[in-house]
Amino acid sequence: MSMKPLCVKLSVQPSRGLVDEKFTVLVQNLLPGFQLTVHALHQCEDGHSWEAFAHYTTDATGTVNVSQDPSLDGTYSGVEPMGLLWSLRPVPGSKSGLRMRKMNVQTPMVVTISVYQGHQMEGFLDRVSLASVVVERWYMAPGVRRVPITDGKLTATLFLPSGAGPFPGLLDLWGGGGKLVEYRAALLASHGIASMALDYLTPQITKETGKMVDNDYFETAYRVLEQHPQILGSRIAMLGLSFGTSVTLRMAVYSQDVKLSCAVCISGSHVQPIGGSVEQILAYFNRNADKTRFDENNQVIWRDLLLPIPTDPSLKVDMGRLQCPLLLVVGEDDQNWPAHECAMDMKEMMERAGNSHLLTVLSYKNAGHLIEPPFMPFARASTFKTVTNPPTKVMALWGGELVAHSRAQEDAWRKMLVFLRENLYGGMKHGASFSNL
Amino acid sequence: MIPCYTVQRNLACIQRTVGGVRWTSSCRPAPLLTASPVRALIDDKISIRGHFLPPRCPVTVCAQMQSDDGDLWEAFAHFNTNSDGTVNLTRDPSVGGSYLGCEPMGLLWGLQPAPGAREGLRQAEKKKVETPYVMLMSLLKGHVSPSERPSTELAAVTAERWYMAPGVRRIEIRQNGVVGTLFLPPGPGPFPAMLDLWGMGGGLVEYRSALFASRGYASFSLAYIGHKDLPGPQNLINVGDPYYKSAFQLLQDHPQVYPDRIGIIGLSFGVYLALRLASHSGIKPSCLICINGPAGSTIKLADADGRTEQTENDQKYWTYDDQGNVSFRAVSLPANLSPESKVKLEHLTCPLMYIVGEDDLSASSVENANLIEETLSAAGKSQLLTRLSYPGAGHLIEPPYTPNSRASLWSVKPQKLVTLWGGHLAPHAAAQEDSWKKILEFMETNLRH
Repeated sequence: MSMKPLCVKLSVQPSRGLVDEKFTVLVQNLLPGFQLTVHALHQCEDGHSWEAFAHYTTDATGTVNVSQDPSLDGTYSGVEPMGLLWSLRPVPGSKSGLRMRKMNVQTPMVVTISVYQGHQMEGFLDRVSLASVVVERWYMAPGVRRVPITDGKLTATLFLPSGAGPFPGLLDLWGGGGKLVEYRAALLASHGIASMALDYLTPQITKETGKMVDNDYFETAYRVLEQHPQILGSRIAMLGLSFGTSVTLRMAVYSQDVKLSCAVCISGSHVQPIGGSVEQILAYFNRNADKTRFDENNQVIWRDLLLPIPTDPSLKVDMGRLQCPLLLVVGEDDQNWPAHECAMDMKEMMERAGNSHLLTVLSYKNAGHLIEPPFMPFARASTFKTVTNPPTKVMALWGGELVAHSRAQEDAWRKMLVFLRENLYGGMKHGASFSNL
Repeated sequence: MIPCYTVQRNLACIQRTVGGVRWTSSCRPAPLLTASPVRALIDDKISIRGHFLPPRCPVTVCAQMQSDDGDLWEAFAHFNTNSDGTVNLTRDPSVGGSYLGCEPMGLLWGLQPAPGAREGLRQAEKKKVETPYVMLMSLLKGHVSPSERPSTELAAVTAERWYMAPGVRRIEIRQNGVVGTLFLPPGPGPFPAMLDLWGMGGGLVEYRSALFASRGYASFSLAYIGHKDLPGPQNLINVGDPYYKSAFQLLQDHPQVYPDRIGIIGLSFGVYLALRLASHSGIKPSCLICINGPAGSTIKLADADGRTEQTENDQKYWTYDDQGNVSFRAVSLPANLSPESKVKLEHLTCPLMYIVGEDDLSASSVENANLIEETLSAAGKSQLLTRLSYPGAGHLIEPPYTPNSRASLWSVKPQKLVTLWGGHLAPHAAAQEDSWKKILEFMETNLRH
């Protein structure tokens, strides 16, 4: 046999996928028992570099299949098909408190996957890899249309699935950090749901007038969806994370105009002064600011601000009046909001009122606050800028443990899509059953 | 057939008026059409499925694609959903439309110019390889043809099909007189490589090279006729042996190419060029892949280096069918090839794969394959030859899952001429799929091991 160097073959299938799609990483044409490191590198929009890596040994055919073979060490271990993505972390020397969020959803997230000889722990960028491929991860499926919305003084973006429709609709709300965050709505549209990402804490109207928005802003957003020619007005859902849950529950229960087919609330609470404006709700939370704690790294823990859960009914959304199916997703290690405790309280309220058949709770041990679409890197803490005037910048502790949180994201997203599909297309028995999952 | 679709919509209205509380019926979710992967390479299989349909119901799946030139291509297939209300193109047979039977990729290779399109189109000539084909797939109610209006669209999905994987680099080469485009895979390399030669249609055909690079091989598409950056009149071959040798050496000298792992692939006249280069000029490729081409020149040579003088191959060998379409087949019969140009095949030292479309109406592929086989056998080198032969396949055996044209417009002046390529729809598609797989395996064996 000639002394030609080994011609290693590295492939990732698919090389262009949606962000929530799994891929298979295959390394072939090496000798059996060959030690190698598979490495992922991503440069995010703000210029920071993120990496993940894992140590493998080739099998008798000289192959490593990341979906089937165990990682011996690295940023993840064991058999983890998608570990190269969810275990991405800022490269050594990076600023602290980073969180990866894609703001431009019209371009893909680009990841370079490489194979290095030996079991390496560091210095990847100074070495020459054996092989390297480029993988694209998209939030938008082909044919999904991105439509900026300014009607009714909204600051929003609507994503329409490909095809003629009509499609069910969804109003997508993020939390206390504000801004117009589009990626989850884009991904939901890629799954056939016309979704509108709504900026309600830092919209143009607030920047111009200095006034926070109130109920009519959300009702306008709902109406834009309801009246859209490609959206089924009778099939609209609402999805809220963190403070977005506060808005979602309040709209679902009290709004005369908003009629939801279902609601999904992630990492949030029903605790709020009933009848208060958005501004008043925020003020209510701030009144308990003295309950803020700090961990050993001086990271901010805000979960106690809403504890203990009040017994006064004027301080909680009356869950007994909810008339649509509700999916609550909570992490039991949430250090930012007492989401699990609130979920238990909501369950109890609904059991007493007799409408608990509408409720499904997904509660994840060792998951934190930021339960996001799957395979995205995890941040146990990150810098957080409040929308107060003047804003304050802190290192917020979100909570969660890497592996458990990543599994929770994958499981919750899958179940959320099933829940939305079953309720938005009408026809499941109350309290969508997951027996077929 | 109960109009299940309208029942579902009506129920939605009733549910709304009962105060938003949903009481169940046996309503199913709205139909869904999925394609996976939704962004794929041209040679990737796609799984196309319909879900949440009524059981045992007629449906049509339709694909539409617009070429770079703006022409619309269409295909459709009729199915009956199974008892759980799904249709799966990997499992279910088409009972009518652009193709019949179970053909997972039939909607792609079965694409035809839509009614009203320009005539004589030859597709799969994507000029801009850096952008994908965009395919709109739709699920229609009943067994209909796409041009029938109105048809009820139940669901749709858009898919992209790419010649270039992410990270593949496209580099225009105009160096040492050589005109071509080099495609490099992502990564540090070095990579095994291919020199890629097409036929007398001329210009620069990039898509096969782009696909090789997407599969880990550096690949160089070389122009030799009909390109503005080449010397001399565009209808003559004004380059000879030194030109092709320079192109091969350019690859060898490239810092990201293994100099001793380079193969040559040729289609049609490109076969002759590949064979000539490998047996004549001191160039030693690792392997040769020849598709439907001659073992000698079909044009009289002007000099010993292989330049030509005539504008067209000898028309006395052209034949015509009833519609006045021309077949060039007889031009490349071994007996009609210019004798001094016949390649000295006995000098070949590397593995050779020869691919024959048995319904090739543009070249005498069977006869040339026989000639090559006999010559190598007589020289005691038959172990070098792998011969693949496909009944019903035509001249243009290209990367898979792209439509074949049995005939297309060849020239407009001095008169409009349509030339016959041959090939029947399903067998030609099968030939493309099988040969591509075997080509990649052949390259793997000879260039990577």
